[in-house]
Amino acid sequence: MNNKPASAARVGIGGPVGSGKTALVEQVIPRFARRGTRLAVITNDLVTKEDAERLKRSGLIDPERVVAVEAGACPHTVIREDPTLNLDAAELLELKFAPLDLVLLESGGDNLASTFSLELVDYWMFVIDVAGGGDIPRKRGPGVLQSDLLIINKSDLAPHVGVDLDLMIAEAEAVRGGKPVIVTNCHTGEGVDAIIDHVARDVLFDS
Amino acid sequence: MLMLTTIHGLMTDDALHERLHGLSHNDAVETIRLERQDMQRHRLRVETDKGTICAIALPRDVSLEDGAILEIDENRAIVVRAIEERWLELVPRDAEAALELGYHAGNLHWRVQFRDGRLAVALEGPEQAYLDRLTMFFDDGRAQRADG
Ligand SMILES: Nc1nc2c(ncn2[C@@H]2O[C@H](COP(=O)(O)OP(=O)(O)OP(=O)(O)O)[C@@H](O)[C@H]2O)c(=O)[nH]1
Ligand SMILES: [Mg+2]
Repeated sequence: MNNKPASAARVGIGGPVGSGKTALVEQVIPRFARRGTRLAVITNDLVTKEDAERLKRSGLIDPERVVAVEAGACPHTVIREDPTLNLDAAELLELKFAPLDLVLLESGGDNLASTFSLELVDYWMFVIDVAGGGDIPRKRGPGVLQSDLLIINKSDLAPHVGVDLDLMIAEAEAVRGGKPVIVTNCHTGEGVDAIIDHVARDVLFDS
Repeated sequence: MLMLTTIHGLMTDDALHERLHGLSHNDAVETIRLERQDMQRHRLRVETDKGTICAIALPRDVSLEDGAILEIDENRAIVVRAIEERWLELVPRDAEAALELGYHAGNLHWRVQFRDGRLAVALEGPEQAYLDRLTMFFDDGRAQRADG
C-alpha cells in the first residue's frame, strides 16, 4: 500500500443493557493485541465508571488506555446527538498513545433504537443476546437494521430460554438485507475471531 | 487494495475539471457511489465501478462530499458521487395527527424535513421497514402517503 491512514480507526459497540458488550470487549482485546493492533478503549456509562474500572482491573490492557465517559443522561445522546465528549476522549487517547490503530467505544446499555453517529465512529456493531428474546431481529429496531455488524451473543443460553437460534439468525439476516450477522459466546470466545476479521477487513485495512 | 487518504479537490474545480475531462477520454475515471449515510464516514472499504477495491481513510477534519476527487494522476482518477436520496412523504390529516406523527418520527430517530404541511422522511433502509412502523397511522387515516 502506498500510504497510511492519518488516524486510528474508531469502532462502536452498542446494544441493550446487559447483552454482553463489555464481555465482548474483554474477548477482543487479547485478539487485537496478538495481531499487533495498537488499541485503546472508551466506555460510556450513565453515571458511573463501572465498565471502565472492570476493564482497567482485567489485566488485559494497560489501564491508562481505558477512559470512561459519563453520559449523565440517555446513553444515546453522547454517541449520536452530541458525541463531543467521545470525540474529545478519542482524540486525547490518540495523542497520548500515538500511534494507535484502533479506538473501541462501548456505548452505555440502551434500547433497540440506539445507533452511533458516523461522525463519531467509522464502523459500529450492535450486540443483542439470545436471552433477550428470539423475536428481537423481527422487531426491526434501528440498531439491528443499521449497524454494520450484528452480534447475537450468549448462544449458549438458547436451549435454556427456549429460543430457536437458527431461526433467530435467519430472521436477523433477512431484515438486514445482506449485512453480516455473527453469533458469539463471550464466555468461551466462540465466534469472536470472525468479528476481528470483519473489523480488520473493513476499517483497519491491514489484513 | 488502494489506500486513499486525501481529497485532491472537487470535480467542479477549474484546474481539475480539465484533467478529468482528458482522463475520461481514455476511460480512466473511476466512480465510487455512496449513500448519504456513508458520506459521513471517514474510513470505509469500497469498490469503484471498475472494480478497484479502495480503502478510504481520511483525516478526521476532512469530509467526503459529492464530486470529491480521491485520486488523480496521469493514468487514473477516482471520484465520489452521492446516490440520490429517497424520501417518503406523509400527509397528516389534521394538526393533532401532525403532532402525533412528528412525535412518532422523533421517537424512531428518523431524519425528516418539513415540506409545506407534509413530513418527508429520509429512507436510510428498505421503504417497507418504514411503512411497517406507520401502519397505525395509515389504518385510522391519521396520515397517508403523499403519492398514495
Ligand atoms: N451465558 C452467557 N452469559 C454472558 C455472555 N456474555 C456475557 N454474559 C453475561 O451477561 C452479563 C452482562 O454482561 P456485560 O458484558 O456486563 O454486558 P454489557 O452489555 O456490557 O452491560 P451494560 O454495559 O451494563 O449494558 C454478565 O453477567 C456476563 O457474564 C455469554 O455469551 N453467555
Ligand atoms: Mg458494559
